[in-house]
Amino acid sequence: MSRLELVNVTKRFGDQVAVSDFNLTVDDGELVSFLGPSGCGKTTTLRMTAGFEAPDSGSVVVDGVDMTEIPTNKRGMGMVFQGYALFPNMTATENVEFGLAVRKRPLADRRARVAELLELFGLAHVAGSYPHQMSGGQQQRVALARAVAIQPGVLLLDEPLSAVDAKVREELRTEIRRMVTQLGITTILVTHDQSEALSISDRVVVMNRGAIEEVGTPAQVYAEPRSAFTAGFIGAMNEIPVRIVSGAQGLVERRGHRVTAPGAAGLADGELALLLVRPESLEPLSATNGSLNGDLTLTGQVEVQTFLGATTRLLIREFPAGAGEGPALPPTRRIAVDVPSASAGRWPAGSELAVRVPVEASRVIAGRSAAEAARQTPTTPATPTTPPGV
Amino acid sequence: MSNPSITGEATEEAIAILPGARARERASRRTGRARRTPAWAAVVLMVAVVYFLLPLYATAVFGFSTGKHFTLQPLWDGLADDGFQTSLQLSLMYSIATTLLALIVVAPTAYLVELRFQRLRSTIEFLTILPFVIPPIILAVGLESTYGINSPVNLIASSWAPVLLMGGYFVLTLPFVFRAVDNALRAVDVRTLTEASASLGAGQMRTFLRVIVPSISLGLVSGALLAFTTAMGEFTLAALLGYPTFPVYLLNINGYQPREGEALVIVSFVITWAGVIALAVVARRAPGTQIVRGGPM
Repeated sequence: MSRLELVNVTKRFGDQVAVSDFNLTVDDGELVSFLGPSGCGKTTTLRMTAGFEAPDSGSVVVDGVDMTEIPTNKRGMGMVFQGYALFPNMTATENVEFGLAVRKRPLADRRARVAELLELFGLAHVAGSYPHQMSGGQQQRVALARAVAIQPGVLLLDEPLSAVDAKVREELRTEIRRMVTQLGITTILVTHDQSEALSISDRVVVMNRGAIEEVGTPAQVYAEPRSAFTAGFIGAMNEIPVRIVSGAQGLVERRGHRVTAPGAAGLADGELALLLVRPESLEPLSATNGSLNGDLTLTGQVEVQTFLGATTRLLIREFPAGAGEGPALPPTRRIAVDVPSASAGRWPAGSELAVRVPVEASRVIAGRSAAEAARQTPTTPATPTTPPGV
Repeated sequence: MSNPSITGEATEEAIAILPGARARERASRRTGRARRTPAWAAVVLMVAVVYFLLPLYATAVFGFSTGKHFTLQPLWDGLADDGFQTSLQLSLMYSIATTLLALIVVAPTAYLVELRFQRLRSTIEFLTILPFVIPPIILAVGLESTYGINSPVNLIASSWAPVLLMGGYFVLTLPFVFRAVDNALRAVDVRTLTEASASLGAGQMRTFLRVIVPSISLGLVSGALLAFTTAMGEFTLAALLGYPTFPVYLLNINGYQPREGEALVIVSFVITWAGVIALAVVARRAPGTQIVRGGPM
């Protein structure tokens, strides 16, 4: 129920820059995720927002009020911790009531509010239980109820689902989304789990090395990543080396074929670049007949099939370029292609496969930074992960 | 008869293939043997029992008899002695005061060290073990020459005298109290609990009293217990600085009324043990003492 602004926030630990010049505005009632690998500064940013760490420079502003110098206990932000951090000496009821007692709310009000919250989170039956008597999912629900009880202007969630098992995680994820929508609390969710970020956020802030890589809706960062890092970190992404023929026309060239591809405009002529395309966008062709209507095609041998449920991922090793196919390009990594599991039997390991690269679903980014980003990226097409649940 | 031997060999081979299987097998054999109490253990136990209980038994026999038959008369005489009552009161007062002082000083200190001043940990740990390095006799002589009658700061003859002894006792109890409290603090995630409490609006004082103290109650109880018994039984400092505490009184009375003295020793022994057991029971029943952290951190 507040508008949160982080302005030029910077934090160093010794020589290490943990967060550098972080700028973000989170609108009233919005759920924004900070997504990135460990050590990217997302948790530090959250802790500065909460007041647990003081920024070296910059400010934290809530509804136009500068909070930077205000201690945590006066900020009125709710926080949920990775390991729940429930008070071990208090029952579920007492944990949820704690913040209300601090605010000296009348006992009857407190009790009514706690009962209401325990009901909302499906915890009524464990109201009198101590944390060690509850399951992980129940503990995390109590932690959420406790944070929400104080009617915070801003709710901060620090990897809240990483300690619960997969099934409970999905349930809680939906529950968090429902709760944020229902209560209209401005929320920041810190996570390293891309599917979590994509599934429940209004916007995703992709972070890398203490800085924002990009900010966008889940659909934007998934479909149109603006950096190689985002492309590689969110979902699986194929990187196909190409050469810019004409930056002015957005024309790229690969093995003698030239296509106009989004994102190529403005890049320097002759430069190496990467064509990014999702595994599910690649279309297997029935015959290995090379080029089709000027589109790019890739031909290779299926190395591994990975069953993912509705789809099956084929990892393909591309055949080397033949003579006369234009200037040499860096070798292509294994290409991941997602096909419906029902038809995966047509391409057993060892079989040959040609796929069409639909340029309208791909994107060209400058090559050098891509290679650099790929080295620090845990998720690359070579080690495919489950596609995000969107 | 050849079949069993073949099976046996096969099993041996299977065990050899499994990594660690032999080690596990050996370990299980060892534990199997350990379950039966060996004869020498019983002997050691007997010797220990005799060593600890025989003097107690002898004391009791001496204290509760006239030399020929059992009587509680020495006990009644001892309990009726003015010196007994005043010295016991004095000791109880010093011990309770020392215990409170130790908890009030050590618990917040250990909490702040754990929370904010990790760099000071080694210094504090060193300070708290000093009493093991410096024997009470040295401490007594030092206190005497610094605050005694020949010193310009003569505390012993002033109304500050109780503070001097309490100060000495406090130092002697430090290692026990700090260890107990520090161990309890390290078993809970102090930092996260503090942050959680702050995020809910609680100030430092409330966080410490309402969240941290109950979470480490077991450590506080055992620290208190150790401080109390240390102070109750302390002899060297009190005797050398001239405080007529209960242990000092016991030694004196043993000199001229040995049976009364021995009877009182047994009584003090019983009282101490009753106290220890009572506190242990209370600590076990205290809620929140089974500290289970939420998940991997």
